[in-house]
Amino acid sequence: MTQLEDGAVVADFIRPDGKEKVTGTGRYTADLTLTGQTYAKFRYADHSHARVLRVDTTAAKALPGVVAVITHDDVPEVKYGGMVQDRYLFAKDVVRFEGDIVAAVAALTEEIAVRAAALIEIDYEILPAITDFDAAMNAGSTLVHEDWASDNRSDDLGSDRNTLGYSTIVKGDAAVALATAPVVVKGRYTTDPVQGVPIEPRAVIAQWQGDKVTIWSSTQVPYAARAGVAKTLQIPESNVRVIVPLLGGGFGAKCDFHFEGHIAALARVAKRPVKLVFSRHEEFFAIGHRREGMVIELETGVSAEGRILARRARLVLDKGAYCGEGGFFAQMAAMHACGPYEIDNVSVHSYLNYSNNQPSSSIRAPTAPQVCWALEQHMDEVARAIHMDPVELRLRTLIDAGSVGPTGQVYENIAMKESLRRAADLIGYGLALPDDEAIGVSSGWWPCFAAQSGAYVKLNFDGSGSIVTGAQENGTGAVMAMPKLVAEQLGMRAEDFSVLYQDTDAAPWDMGSCGSQTTFNSVRAVLDATDDVRNQLLDAAADHLEASRDDLELVAGSVRVKGSPTKSVAIAELAAGGTFHGKGSGELPESPPVDASACVGRLGMESFLAPQVFTHAVHVKLDRDTGVARVLRVVAVHDSGAILNPLGANGQVYGGVVMGVGQALTEGTVLDDRGRQRNPHLLDYKLITCADAPQIDIEWVGRATPGAGPLGSKGVGEPPSVPTAGAIANALTQLIGAPVRQLPMTPERVWTVIQGVAS
Amino acid sequence: MSTFVSPTTLDEVLVALSRGARPVAGGTDLVVGARQGKAPLPVDLVAIHRLDSLKILTTGRDGVRLGGLVTHEDIVANDVIRLSYTALADASAIVGSQATRAQGTIGGNVMNASPAMDTGGPLLCLGARVVLKSSGRTRSVSLDELFVSPGHTIARPDELLVAIDIPPVVDGTGSCYARLEYRRQMEIAVVGATAVCTIVDGVVTSARVAMTALAPTIQRVPSAEALLVGQPANRSSADAAAAAFAHATKPISDVRASAEYRRAMAVVIARRAIEGAFARASGSDVPIPASSALQGAR
Repeated sequence: MTQLEDGAVVADFIRPDGKEKVTGTGRYTADLTLTGQTYAKFRYADHSHARVLRVDTTAAKALPGVVAVITHDDVPEVKYGGMVQDRYLFAKDVVRFEGDIVAAVAALTEEIAVRAAALIEIDYEILPAITDFDAAMNAGSTLVHEDWASDNRSDDLGSDRNTLGYSTIVKGDAAVALATAPVVVKGRYTTDPVQGVPIEPRAVIAQWQGDKVTIWSSTQVPYAARAGVAKTLQIPESNVRVIVPLLGGGFGAKCDFHFEGHIAALARVAKRPVKLVFSRHEEFFAIGHRREGMVIELETGVSAEGRILARRARLVLDKGAYCGEGGFFAQMAAMHACGPYEIDNVSVHSYLNYSNNQPSSSIRAPTAPQVCWALEQHMDEVARAIHMDPVELRLRTLIDAGSVGPTGQVYENIAMKESLRRAADLIGYGLALPDDEAIGVSSGWWPCFAAQSGAYVKLNFDGSGSIVTGAQENGTGAVMAMPKLVAEQLGMRAEDFSVLYQDTDAAPWDMGSCGSQTTFNSVRAVLDATDDVRNQLLDAAADHLEASRDDLELVAGSVRVKGSPTKSVAIAELAAGGTFHGKGSGELPESPPVDASACVGRLGMESFLAPQVFTHAVHVKLDRDTGVARVLRVVAVHDSGAILNPLGANGQVYGGVVMGVGQALTEGTVLDDRGRQRNPHLLDYKLITCADAPQIDIEWVGRATPGAGPLGSKGVGEPPSVPTAGAIANALTQLIGAPVRQLPMTPERVWTVIQGVAS
Repeated sequence: MSTFVSPTTLDEVLVALSRGARPVAGGTDLVVGARQGKAPLPVDLVAIHRLDSLKILTTGRDGVRLGGLVTHEDIVANDVIRLSYTALADASAIVGSQATRAQGTIGGNVMNASPAMDTGGPLLCLGARVVLKSSGRTRSVSLDELFVSPGHTIARPDELLVAIDIPPVVDGTGSCYARLEYRRQMEIAVVGATAVCTIVDGVVTSARVAMTALAPTIQRVPSAEALLVGQPANRSSADAAAAAFAHATKPISDVRASAEYRRAMAVVIARRAIEGAFARASGSDVPIPASSALQGAR
């Protein structure tokens, strides 16, 4: 398999699932109906932190039409979670956030289920709600998990009481360097939590046949869902089949095991299929999955020439009530507090703290947009402090091939500085603008994640083929592009191939649609399986044509002898007469070596495999009277290695930028003093709309980075949402004369800073 | 047992209302509200979308009559409204989303009586009256009297808004509705202001100003109006009136904005509405909707 060269971009490929989705013929989980189906409703915690004293389901069970009511007493006593097992399916003794589930009801209609859930009587002893996640680590703070020591916390986490995870990045001696640095700049930044907001609210249907259960679920990670059901219900994974019908988006919010266990348990008691469909309200407050709020304190020592002598940082992340799959956040955030810069001395301390807020887990590039927003504002402040242009400072300090990172990793071929140069050029950096407009830039990075994957490719008797993959299509088009990539290897056409996917009984384990890893890992496996088929075809054709294998090539649906096109055999003819099936997983790239011996809380993020690097430049217009900012244009320049399908890759950037603009200006979950959401609906949780979307210009500056994925590709999906907010912040600071240190930078917050400058 | 009927005659609708049914037109408030758990769907519903006679928009020397089922899209598309009743076009052009404007009706919007309703301020300042009809009785009510409190009007449950009458606009009049917008679609008013001003020889001879989302109901602001009438139509009279406007507001703090920010924005938005009305009264073009056209103005 050949790797593409620097800057390689191949032809567009139109995804085959687009038409059914845009014409409404596609079927999502909520569209499915099973014979005898009943409807589920959860009874949520009535308080964000309380001891559960009594749960009485008598009245709910007595309501006509109710077929099952279950609580913690009806499921095995098992805790689940990623690096920390801290949560039961149903609250046992304590509820820890407003979306904790105390009971579940199945009834003949949704209306009856709603009434029955309200009839469940629960007595509570209200406990203090920990909503200040920074103060949560103070000695004497109320514990979110009183029995934390028994939660099987991984030793690597550096856990202590309300601090689930503690990670440091340490290089040299930052304290000494800061004490002697000519210029030191400090900044403190805070961010509100943010939601993933997929268009499709979650849905789950479970049906038992004997001791086996089939679950249809709107998940990004069917294999993780299967493992979660098996663990929480204490049954073998082979008794659980998870199928994902079309998925209506996820943005990370549908990573991790969520409600499949509850619904499977409910269906087992009900002895009928049970269907759960979330309302938009539930999709906000009941999911254990949002982007976390943070406190970010940065301190940088710099020379007059713009050498970064030292970076000290203290990060506090709001984990919310439970670990979920977000146990690695402290270290990921710490890496982003260093950023893609050459820094002589580093001391970053990052804390992932429990609270009684909604649990945080991966949302598109977890931790990166917030820390990048803070760091890139901070870098502009550093530039101002030494009277240097912010682009010039970045050109002097960004990493490039040969640079040594904060954990000793030596970076290879990457287009970090080139992305900045191109973004500045394309946006017209330095040109005169009206006095209410400005341009800001922001750079960032994100690693590729190596993970196991497996696939089968088989040919049918008519010469068509089938791809069987564990990969999950969450809307990015990564799975949809597999037929194109397979067909290219076999000299066939993309439309010759179907894909069997999103069914845990069909394909080997796959991590699912997360970590920008589908092309990186799942396509690696698919292409490895394709190679297997290719070899089988070459063997068969060599026999058939009585030619040497080495003289054969696969072209236009045939295997033929190079240079003698008439000496050929159609692949369909071979397929009809034999069995061609390949399997593959491919070789995992190794993590680049690091020297991180001084760091604690090492969870693997200290090594950035085949980094994706990128710069956004934005053109912003500010209404100074109201604080309303409009983003007029975004230039996005990305090194994601070789681009295998420009149409799909561009789509990821358009969407990521729009998400980034929303995070920058309007999107934020507002919590009350008990950690309850005050805007859990689409009117007041303000996504930006098409009408607000800026002009977006994209340029790919891919490099053939060692350790890259199939055909020299890197990930694409997550980075586009990372740097936009920082660039917008830097434009705003120029217009206001002072930074807006809270995210989102809402009109009121911007206006407040303007008032402060004016007085 | 719940019922749903969708008659084709007004009489049938009024009979259903007299028996306790609630009307549904575009459903953009009723259905969305029920889904959000604000209020359950009424047990008995009478759909009025088949009453073609209520879909008529007429303009003439006597003014404008908007049938209760006229949609926001109909209003924005009407040249007479755009030219002479421009504030109403400003408002209808920014209600909800494209889908809301195609589906939502002016009658439903008014009778929902939200203090944040965009069309209420323009209708109030343009002197609109609503025609309420029940079996055997028809009455005309000024918008001044219609709104009682958030979500409540003086209409009885058996009355249906069948039309809205707006009197003719005198020459030299310009009108404008502006609101604070965090985003450009799917927005709800946090601060809104309407101004309808008549200018003769550079002097304001008549002024009506109303606040939106700054008090429990849409309401006129007499103190601001008094500071405009008799004054030259210029920046300083607009500033003075805008200050009085903000002083008259009773802003709250909630998830959408603090009271302090709302009061400060009341000055800005009122000034934009008044200056927009001034400009239109003197024949300058301020594009519809004014909210985005006036952003960053001054």
